[in-house]
Amino acid sequence: MNYTEKIREIAARLLENGQVDMVMAWEKGDLEYQTIPFIARTVDEVSRIVCDEYSIHNLSNYLLRYRDGKEKIAIVVKGCDSRGIVRLLEDNQIARDRLYIIGITCDGVKDPLRAMRQHSGFEKVEKPEDGLAAKCLDCRQPNPVIYDELLGEEQTPRGGEDRFARIAEIEQMSADERYKFFESLFSTCIRCYACRQACVACNCRTCIFDETRPQWVGRETSISDNFMYHLVRASHMAGRCVECGECERVCPVNIPLMLVNRKLIKDVNEFFGPYEAGMEYVEGRKPPLSVYRENDPDDFL
Amino acid sequence: MKVLKFGKIEQVLDRLAQQAEVYVPMLRGQQTGFYSWNTYDEGYDDLMFDILNVYQSPKHVILPQTEMMYRFRQEGQDVIIDAEAQEITPKIIMGIRSCDVRGIEHLDAVFLTKGYVDEFYKARRDKITIIANACYNPGTNCFCASMGVNPTDPEAADIIMREVEVGYVWDVKTEKGQAVTKQIEDLLEEEEVELFPLKRFLRKVDYEGVAEKLKDMFDDPMWEKYSEPCQTCGICTYLCPTCYCFDIQVKTWGEEGYRFRCWDSCMYREYTQMAGGHNPREAAKERFRNRFLHKLQFFTERYGQPLCTGCGRCVVVCPGGVNIIKIIDTVKEAKTGA
Repeated sequence: MNYTEKIREIAARLLENGQVDMVMAWEKGDLEYQTIPFIARTVDEVSRIVCDEYSIHNLSNYLLRYRDGKEKIAIVVKGCDSRGIVRLLEDNQIARDRLYIIGITCDGVKDPLRAMRQHSGFEKVEKPEDGLAAKCLDCRQPNPVIYDELLGEEQTPRGGEDRFARIAEIEQMSADERYKFFESLFSTCIRCYACRQACVACNCRTCIFDETRPQWVGRETSISDNFMYHLVRASHMAGRCVECGECERVCPVNIPLMLVNRKLIKDVNEFFGPYEAGMEYVEGRKPPLSVYRENDPDDFL
Repeated sequence: MKVLKFGKIEQVLDRLAQQAEVYVPMLRGQQTGFYSWNTYDEGYDDLMFDILNVYQSPKHVILPQTEMMYRFRQEGQDVIIDAEAQEITPKIIMGIRSCDVRGIEHLDAVFLTKGYVDEFYKARRDKITIIANACYNPGTNCFCASMGVNPTDPEAADIIMREVEVGYVWDVKTEKGQAVTKQIEDLLEEEEVELFPLKRFLRKVDYEGVAEKLKDMFDDPMWEKYSEPCQTCGICTYLCPTCYCFDIQVKTWGEEGYRFRCWDSCMYREYTQMAGGHNPREAAKERFRNRFLHKLQFFTERYGQPLCTGCGRCVVVCPGGVNIIKIIDTVKEAKTGA
């Protein structure tokens, strides 16, 4: 994947004619396998833009910083990232007319974090892996679902087998086995909140985990507080996760967060579906669990 | 020279673990960090003295991420405080690299000097013996030498292990080190061996004068620019061997509870949230700037050295690709404040 030249052309055009105030894309870091988010604000900065095989970050998350502003923003999105934009629009986080969406079809990207790790000496590897990022092997949406301008040829999804197969296995476990399983996953969490920060669906202005009056979730790295953090985070993702896989990718202790997210995706689909978050933007349409009606079923209360 | 042969490492660990909790670098599941040898599971864990470094530094051995301070309960009109210190077991950190030893030296400066001694810290620190693993082969993102660390001769080490062809040269530095060596003396062998030469550093940075220059760079546009990719998560602060900020919090159930301290991160909103609702570091830029000014200016002003040991962890793990080397370079090249 390499859209660098085309995106530079578009960025220069948009900045020059004043159509946008900034262009969210990527630039190269220090190392060949390091591509990092970059915002170009002037035509001079356009030459720094790259969009290459390491452009993995879901940039839609960065729009949140500008939600209270008036700037017009051009943003480059892959298929998975574009679903994040739909989510932000559905949640009224940013107005559609402030955005110029440059969609790129994606045949999979590599993970700079994995490459950094494997080349750094912090991981024992025979030979660094050079293939697609783990999250891309199970790609559902390689083509952008919303855009003003589209680059690239249509791609076919790579996610083959049933993405809920592992969930079904875990559902079959006994309650005790399941507890042990999740205990082993969450006991290693260091509570750095990278999963929350990388997530476009986590767009609450004040996060429950930052609340102090009252403090809903304790700050100890104990199994109970860790469980509380992860279960609350996951529940809040119900109907919102767009499966961009960024949470799992950035986790410094390799917690398989998508496993938990997928359980919620499956449940929402079964209870309210068929439903896939962020697949299509229809103005005024609300996703499941985001509206209140007086006749909502409440027999579980 | 006294040499610990590769084949005898596990015997040494077993022996030492009888007297102390021994923390060693391991691969546990998919994570690398310092874990107690007593919890080593042959089928699941891998001992990793031969890796450059592990993700999670041994900082938590001296400064646990969560630490109980005291319990309390109400009885009638009285509040009973149970402040009895928990029993601290002797601990050995074995296989720690120079960068992380420097991290401990910094923690010592913070918690034990300048007129205040943190009792919780001191109780742990006094019972810790450091067996360092000299580093002759710096990694892609290592720059410890540029931050004043000697990769092969860590200052605060009680013993230094030096990897050679057949094992490790056992280089005892302090009395604490001698005491530990006594327990395993029969497992060491006398042998003349040749040490490896220190390989070249791939990364270099010039910190000279940076703290001074930063005084005039509080409003520099670089903070805006470099903080843009920062997601304000706490990975860098929690994996850093020197970040020591903590919070003191409380948990209560009915009439009893306990107070504990836990790591905090300057990258979190809650860190500077004030009682009246104001937050002086609302956005990424302010938090980001504070983190680097603390590391590169404030700490140097107070303790004479930067709060960075060049271990390279933050460079490797940052999801946004934030790079402290680039920040130092930028300050170095800046015209302002010169």
